[in-house]
Amino acid sequence: MTRTWRLVDDVGRDLTAAEQMAADVVLLDDVARGAEPALRLYTWRQPTLTLGRFQPRDDVDENACAHLGVDVVARPTGGRALLHGADVTYAVAMPRPEGRAGTVAELYERLAAVLVAALADLGVDAAVAHGEGRAGAACFAAAQGADLRVRGRKLCGSAQLQRDGCVLQHGSLRCEPLPVTEADVLRFPDDRARAAVRERLAASTVTLAELGAPHDVATVASALTSAFARTLDVTWRSSVGVEGIAKSRAVVVHG
Amino acid sequence: MEFPDDVRYTREHEWVRVEGGGRARVGITDYAQDALGDVVYVQLPDTGTNAVANSSVCEVESTKSVSEVYAPLTGTVVEVNDALAQTPELVNQDPYGDGWLFVLELADAGEVDRLLDATAYRSFVDEQ
Repeated sequence: MTRTWRLVDDVGRDLTAAEQMAADVVLLDDVARGAEPALRLYTWRQPTLTLGRFQPRDDVDENACAHLGVDVVARPTGGRALLHGADVTYAVAMPRPEGRAGTVAELYERLAAVLVAALADLGVDAAVAHGEGRAGAACFAAAQGADLRVRGRKLCGSAQLQRDGCVLQHGSLRCEPLPVTEADVLRFPDDRARAAVRERLAASTVTLAELGAPHDVATVASALTSAFARTLDVTWRSSVGVEGIAKSRAVVVHG
Repeated sequence: MEFPDDVRYTREHEWVRVEGGGRARVGITDYAQDALGDVVYVQLPDTGTNAVANSSVCEVESTKSVSEVYAPLTGTVVEVNDALAQTPELVNQDPYGDGWLFVLELADAGEVDRLLDATAYRSFVDEQ
């Protein structure tokens, strides 16, 4: 049965990192209050390091972030640090399905199928990368949950928050390389450890541009929108922006 | 899937083991830990927290997913499982034992009667 979802197009919208995270939480809260499920797509106005909900702020090299112009914000979701800026980020808020379909793993699988379909439309043959144990401080340095890889290199990572019978899942689809990486803005015991993570990130991640795929944000966003509609059998009610976003609702960094 | 007889259950997949002195130990069920996957962090409540039945009282992170845990009963948190700070995987390994979350001093011990017994909870899970 075709259902109606809200489509929030925030691609190119000038929001702070805190506002981006607050908007995703509002999306979830709205659904918890009975609103229709929603897909939000957005980009970042500056390079931004997002931290997992419980990730210590001590993981961040604050001086490096300031020097490199990287903003820092905590996500409401789990996982580890992720550097945004040349990606399209999606956020899905929907009621958690009943029973086994509502487990963490099943939800990841269900939405991974959508992302795989979107990437196929972009000519990219991606596959789900299942858990590889605990991640270090950098999210993209390990594949967990239902992250997507292309020829063994991670292209898309996602994270979840489940509460009030609903789920928020958001994730990042990397369009092109950034001039900085997580290795430049996280703290490490020494330069050797930093170099090791830099090397690991370079070897284990990839972007659409590097794959020779279409990578402008409009095309990527369109592919995501189409794949969600097709795979989950939804039609869209469009809206621009999430109402009621306030900086006071930004997620507080723990640790 | 384990359904011990010595605890009561909620439809949110928490268990409660009533102890002496109007206290009850709380954790998440075997079904819940399996649904979450590998638990990597537990944000426990502070002792002294006033927990309200069916309201969020702590959070669990597993495979990049943060999930709320609801208080099964109303009461005051008087003890938390500090071992989970170093070994959150106890929630997966021994959900009804060493993976307990916190102890409540109950506001109304009679509330326990509203919870499911093992048979009823097993039926609830089978319907999922």
